[in-house]
Amino acid sequence: MKHLLQALSLPARPRTLAANGTSGKVAPLFRPDRKFNRDEQESELIVQNLNVHIKDQHILKNIHLTIPDKKITCVIGPSGCGKSTLLKTFNRLIDSIEEVRVSGKVLLNGTDIVSSGGSEIIHLRRAMGLISQKPCPLPMSIFDNIAYGCRIHGIRGRKKLRLVAQHYLEAAGLWEEVKDRLNTPATRLSIGQQQRLCLARSLAVEPRFILADEATSALDPISSKIIEELFIKLKENYSIVMVTHTLRQALRIADNVIFMYLGEVIETGPADKVFNNPEHKLTKKYLSGVFS
Amino acid sequence: MMLARVAKDKAAGGIMFTLTLLSMVLVVVMGVGLYLKSAPVLAEYSLGDLLLSSSWKPMRGEFGFLPFVMGTIWVTVIAIAMAVPVSLLTAIYLTEYARPAIRKYVFPALDILAALPSVIYGVWGTLLIVPFISERLAPRFVEFSTGYTMLAGGIVLGVMILPLLVSLFIELITSVPGELREASISLGATRWQTTKKVVVRNVFPGLMAAVVLAVSRALGETIAVLMVCGNLPEIPRSIFDACYPIPALIANNYGEMLSLPRYEAALMFAALLLFIVVLLFNLISRVILYRIEKTFF
Repeated sequence: MKHLLQALSLPARPRTLAANGTSGKVAPLFRPDRKFNRDEQESELIVQNLNVHIKDQHILKNIHLTIPDKKITCVIGPSGCGKSTLLKTFNRLIDSIEEVRVSGKVLLNGTDIVSSGGSEIIHLRRAMGLISQKPCPLPMSIFDNIAYGCRIHGIRGRKKLRLVAQHYLEAAGLWEEVKDRLNTPATRLSIGQQQRLCLARSLAVEPRFILADEATSALDPISSKIIEELFIKLKENYSIVMVTHTLRQALRIADNVIFMYLGEVIETGPADKVFNNPEHKLTKKYLSGVFS
Repeated sequence: MMLARVAKDKAAGGIMFTLTLLSMVLVVVMGVGLYLKSAPVLAEYSLGDLLLSSSWKPMRGEFGFLPFVMGTIWVTVIAIAMAVPVSLLTAIYLTEYARPAIRKYVFPALDILAALPSVIYGVWGTLLIVPFISERLAPRFVEFSTGYTMLAGGIVLGVMILPLLVSLFIELITSVPGELREASISLGATRWQTTKKVVVRNVFPGLMAAVVLAVSRALGETIAVLMVCGNLPEIPRSIFDACYPIPALIANNYGEMLSLPRYEAALMFAALLLFIVVLLFNLISRVILYRIEKTFF
């Protein structure tokens, strides 16, 4: 990694990745972004009075939240309660939905996500790595999948990109499995491998947050377990927001829990407290399996 | 005893198989028929003479097909070169950029364009394109042009296949799953980067197949091209020269050929040529497509 740093002549960031046994320093490929990727600061995500309407439906209702830095926050709740929509407002993917109205504030490092526009959105999306429900490798080789994110942000040089690819594939625990076939199409990987590739791809643009939308629901139990373990390692360096359908998963990995019901946040707090000592009746019912 | 519905099922399968077979056989029958009809001219002249000679004097028994072959190829190349970029960008705009309201009005308009009879495109070409070329465009480059040129043929043909290409491209691009776009956009890619590197790349084999379809159609298009391209049996030297594509040759001379048996055979050979060219073109492009798909997906 040393010559990579020299090549970029940028100071190394004291960020280390301990995932999967590798503990090299991550070279800062990107200049720290003034707004969303500021490094020194704690990057809490603060949601204030967020309302989302799609067509005539009120999808998210007066959401107030604080998502802590470098923790795993699980969003739980029955389907259709607005979990995914909440996630989509965080990286502005919500823009692609027709007839959508968003009001309120989502603050990252003091900058409002909801009102940002133009190139700010591009920086924002870089800061918010997304792992979707179904792994979605781009129609190119394994290597190009990782390099893609760097290339679109103007980073060139095959040598440099190769080091980046290796680093983040190691971080996602995929390097050993794919190092001999980096140039084969990514679609030939197994579905669990594909999801780890997507994770590596997201990490390669150096996000602050990882937004995981039911990232393990399409995977087999073993692959799910690998992803969960990765998340626990990655929370040293990233804040992770995970929407999940499985309570057990939330129990296993969550530091913080947000319980949503019909577009409202019913209860939020440290996982211990919400799971063992829920305040709200609805939370109790949901946790005991009265509805799901 | 066999149940009635099982019998029906079997009968339906049989009938459909027979019909499919029939249409397959038809292609072969047409090829063989054309070959038999063109046999007299094939017996008298070598294939090389027919294809490589540029002298077309049927009354003197000189049948050189090179001008027609070149005319066909050039008109098609011009048409494709103009239609593909325009239709691809149009399709991208309509699927990736345009608001739904715009789509609602443009899609039906495209269908209407695609359904217009080709003679209307021919008339439009004669009334607008031909004078435009002879009065405005050609004088800048050459001394004299009637306007009935290869360029006019190419433009009319290009405009004709445009709606076909656009609707094929739209179909393909909308088939790209939204998650792929989201994956790219959530990495911080712009819409254009996503379109160029993910969407178009994902459907690239399909796009090629669509172009192949358009080329096949352009190769065989007769009336509209015949009306604007001048129909001179000479090898065109520039895009401002007249040309004479094979379908135009057949259509123009079909009535008078009967008096000369060799002439008839020669025209049948022209038809056979077109038939083989289209067939080979389709075959080769299939092979190429298969290769592409194997390496990328």
